[in-house]
Amino acid sequence: MSTLKSFPTASRSLTLGNRERELLIKLVSYLVLSIGAFTMLVPFFWMLSTSFKEPQGIFRMPPQWIPDPLTTENYVKIWEKTNLARGFVNSMVIAVVSTTGEIFTSTLAGYAFARIRFRGRNVIFALLLSTMMIPGVVTMIPGFILFKNLGWIDTWYPLIVPLLFGSSFAIFLCRQYFATLPEELADAGKVDGANQFQIYWSIFLPQAKPIIATLAVLGFIARWNDYLGPLIYVRSTDKFPIALMLTSLNTMYERQWTLLMAGAMVALLPIIILFVALQRYFIESIALTGIKG
Amino acid sequence: MARYRIGPERGLTLRQREAIWGYLFVALPMFGFVVFAAGPLIASIILSFAQWDLLRDPQWVGFDNWNSLLTLTVQHLPQEIDETTGEPLFLCAREKVPQSRAREMEGQIDPRTGGVIDCAPRYVRERDMLPQGYRTALEFSLLNRRYVIGSRDPVFWEGLYNTSYMLLGIPISLAIALLLAIALNQKIRGKAIYRMLYYLPVILPVAATSLIWMWIYNPEFGILNYALNELGIPVTSKWLQDRHAVKPALMIMGIWGGLGYQMLIFLAGLQGVPTHLYEAAKIDGAGVWARFRFVTWPGLTPTTFFLLVTGMIGGFQVFAQPYIMTAGGPYTSSTTVVMVIWRNAFRDLQMGYASAQAWVLGAVIMLITLVNFLLAKRWVYLETEGARA
Repeated sequence: MSTLKSFPTASRSLTLGNRERELLIKLVSYLVLSIGAFTMLVPFFWMLSTSFKEPQGIFRMPPQWIPDPLTTENYVKIWEKTNLARGFVNSMVIAVVSTTGEIFTSTLAGYAFARIRFRGRNVIFALLLSTMMIPGVVTMIPGFILFKNLGWIDTWYPLIVPLLFGSSFAIFLCRQYFATLPEELADAGKVDGANQFQIYWSIFLPQAKPIIATLAVLGFIARWNDYLGPLIYVRSTDKFPIALMLTSLNTMYERQWTLLMAGAMVALLPIIILFVALQRYFIESIALTGIKG
Repeated sequence: MARYRIGPERGLTLRQREAIWGYLFVALPMFGFVVFAAGPLIASIILSFAQWDLLRDPQWVGFDNWNSLLTLTVQHLPQEIDETTGEPLFLCAREKVPQSRAREMEGQIDPRTGGVIDCAPRYVRERDMLPQGYRTALEFSLLNRRYVIGSRDPVFWEGLYNTSYMLLGIPISLAIALLLAIALNQKIRGKAIYRMLYYLPVILPVAATSLIWMWIYNPEFGILNYALNELGIPVTSKWLQDRHAVKPALMIMGIWGGLGYQMLIFLAGLQGVPTHLYEAAKIDGAGVWARFRFVTWPGLTPTTFFLLVTGMIGGFQVFAQPYIMTAGGPYTSSTTVVMVIWRNAFRDLQMGYASAQAWVLGAVIMLITLVNFLLAKRWVYLETEGARA
């Protein structure tokens, strides 16, 4: 009984039984989660509803959640009359090319760090990892000077080329992944006299689909959402990725909220689709690494 | 048997051949490391001792950049004295009056405005107390005395202040995320849906969500002021156009955007708390609160610490949201450090000075990161233990 007293037993004063108490906890949980989820969703409803309104519809008080009249005019206009579609395509190209390169180089290096023995392996790996500690703001200015000297200002190269050399984060994940695969996999290749690249390419890479999918999703989203990079390096409007294009529309069509919300929706849509379709990889990657996309 | 031959082949052992492949495979990242990480890192240290606008040749200025950036001066602001009577001066209803007159005026009704007159000591102007070239970075009172901190670069310190202020959103966000994670950790239906809904804002492009929140905060037709008024809370705040409300407004948006991530990490942390401890606590008669206080919370401290640290690292580098939503205004009330650095570097082309600024911020962040890495082992340990349990 002495242990009993060491706890401030609030529950003792309640006359609820165990089952009632559990039910109560469940109820409160549902309540908290639903209120929270509703609050999280309000901005999306607000965006969606505004994007389907007529321009003068937004001045109506109280605000309408379901627009009447409902119009798709904003989407037509933002897609056909502005440069947003251009930005959409630009972002697709940048994201796909840079992420493909990042994954190829990172799986290759991750494989080497996990499965090939060579002198200095751990030192090199530690060096690469240490770059994760450098805040981007410190290397931003010399990076700009470097790319300026290469004549790469107002091109996409500064957004793509550094990633072709892999990223520490992706290399780290790949190394961890390849290290878990059984050694017997490589034996078949070695027996056939295959070289290391052939073993990597035809035996290990096909085994790495989950980690490749995770990196593809995270990489695509990071490039699609990037703002500071393009802001520094890309100058001409026709080369803007979608994030910059969207905010340039904000200065061009200031206060035309119906149009801007349609634009925001267009910029969000690929990410939402990707997220809903590949949810599993997101949740896994977060639980695995604790690093957000 | 020839195909199984192990040993020297074209003069190289199998081991050597393997090693060559290894170096080839890591060559690209090594090159990237030198050119895009180590090189720029060293270059930015060197740059911080130069003045360079990229047009003319760089000028070496020694520690000048660092001095202008870091030298602070603290001055005591004395109360102003009436030159004829020697009495200390007060400010009553925008009027400079001696102490004797101030005593009379205090509490009276101002005939011009109809309000009650409030008197405050009139201090010597800051710029009269600060040395040449210094401007006010911060004013504060301590033990009934008035002080001013002067800097040759007050904008940078204000940026650092604004950024640190907005970091206050992190503990609030963590508390909400923990509550949600505990709720989600119960035996309830629709877990996947909830997880998805909360996580969605984390991965969406900031450019788009910033526009959405600008429209939410719109003073006339935005949904926020409308909803608050409907709930019986009369609000006339202009939010993003109000220099007192703009930082909290950005914080709220930040919480919305980061909550889902924190919740998921907390959820992973909760699943790492061994269930047998709960059982033991239950047998000991521990109630809901006691179980949280003595079992859940100790198990979650590494998780909380991890989130706090990563949140701060991200928070110190906030740029896009204020850049898009307020351009740092009104006045400089939402200008973050990275915005200050960005302006100095890419608008005013002060590459050397901006590099010194970046290093001050970088040093703060690296210090936090270092602590994070040192303590990461504890957090990872809990994770794997949970998976096994």
